[in-house]
Amino acid sequence: MAGEKKAKRVRKVHASRNPVLARGIGKYSRSAMYARKAMYKRKYKAPETKIEKKKREKEPATITKPVGGDKNGGNRVVKLRKMPRYYPTEDVPRKLLSHGKKNFALHKRKLRASITPGTVVILLTGRHRGKRVVFLKQLGSGLLLVTGPLTINRVPLRRAHQKFVIATSTKVDISSVKLPKHLSDLYFKKKKLRKPKHQEGEIFDTEKEKYEITERRKADQKHVDSQLLPIIKKVPQLRGYLRSTFSLSNGVYPHKLVF
Amino acid sequence: MTGKLWSKANFAGYKRGLRNQREHAALLKIEGVYSHNETEFYLGKKCAYVYKAKNNTVTPGGKPNRVIWGKVTHAHGSSGMV
Repeated sequence: MAGEKKAKRVRKVHASRNPVLARGIGKYSRSAMYARKAMYKRKYKAPETKIEKKKREKEPATITKPVGGDKNGGNRVVKLRKMPRYYPTEDVPRKLLSHGKKNFALHKRKLRASITPGTVVILLTGRHRGKRVVFLKQLGSGLLLVTGPLTINRVPLRRAHQKFVIATSTKVDISSVKLPKHLSDLYFKKKKLRKPKHQEGEIFDTEKEKYEITERRKADQKHVDSQLLPIIKKVPQLRGYLRSTFSLSNGVYPHKLVF
Repeated sequence: MTGKLWSKANFAGYKRGLRNQREHAALLKIEGVYSHNETEFYLGKKCAYVYKAKNNTVTPGGKPNRVIWGKVTHAHGSSGMV
């Protein structure tokens, strides 16, 4: 039986065999740990380093290429790695490596536990402030994809920032709603409007001076809303709730409200 | 139309010892908040002091308002000051 098992048995990783005395200081010395971890049984050969590999396979420095023409001698020897054709006036020192500094694209996106797909959410900033709106999903940049639906409160498919939104405990069951896959940050990104050039005067009106709603957006809006509206209509008073806006009045204090 | 989405607060003075005051931090009495544990909601929220002055400055909305912005950093005392 043991012979049938392959050489690679799944090994359970053992907890640290070196009890901690203080942070960063273990009880056993290096040689003691060597014995405790039975490293004498586990000697591995280090994989061949890149330097050694390069020494083995030396890549060709030049290539001979055929050349046309009668009296050109048929071949030229061409260098594979050519000398740079430009050197800057001053040598620029290399940047030091930094650790843990990630680009925005690589950041971890968080989502509050109170915001789940289908939650009714109150927008606090922007032209739609105070409106109650349905949360659909979180986009790659961390922004929330949200829709009115349009026919209920004139909020289209739009992005909202998590920090500028209050999550309510009202939830709509969105599990049956299929969102088109092309709705992403790139889809919603603001387009730069081109300003008309001064030289031509008013003759040339360059495209897109004003923002126009594309047919694609209208189609996507219809597609998503048509799935949402029947679900909303089923819940009593939800449609009216989404149509209303949120505001504070006399004696209403947000720290006392339960959302 | 939208109603109010903000809370009112009174400017109660600057952060101070008995005889010296530090004008870079202020004390605010938020309406409706009268105990220390109620201030948790407001921590980190932005504050704006909006006032009018004679010469109009550029503002979004075109109105002659001026603002001093700030934010709530921590609670002060046990009666909900901030």
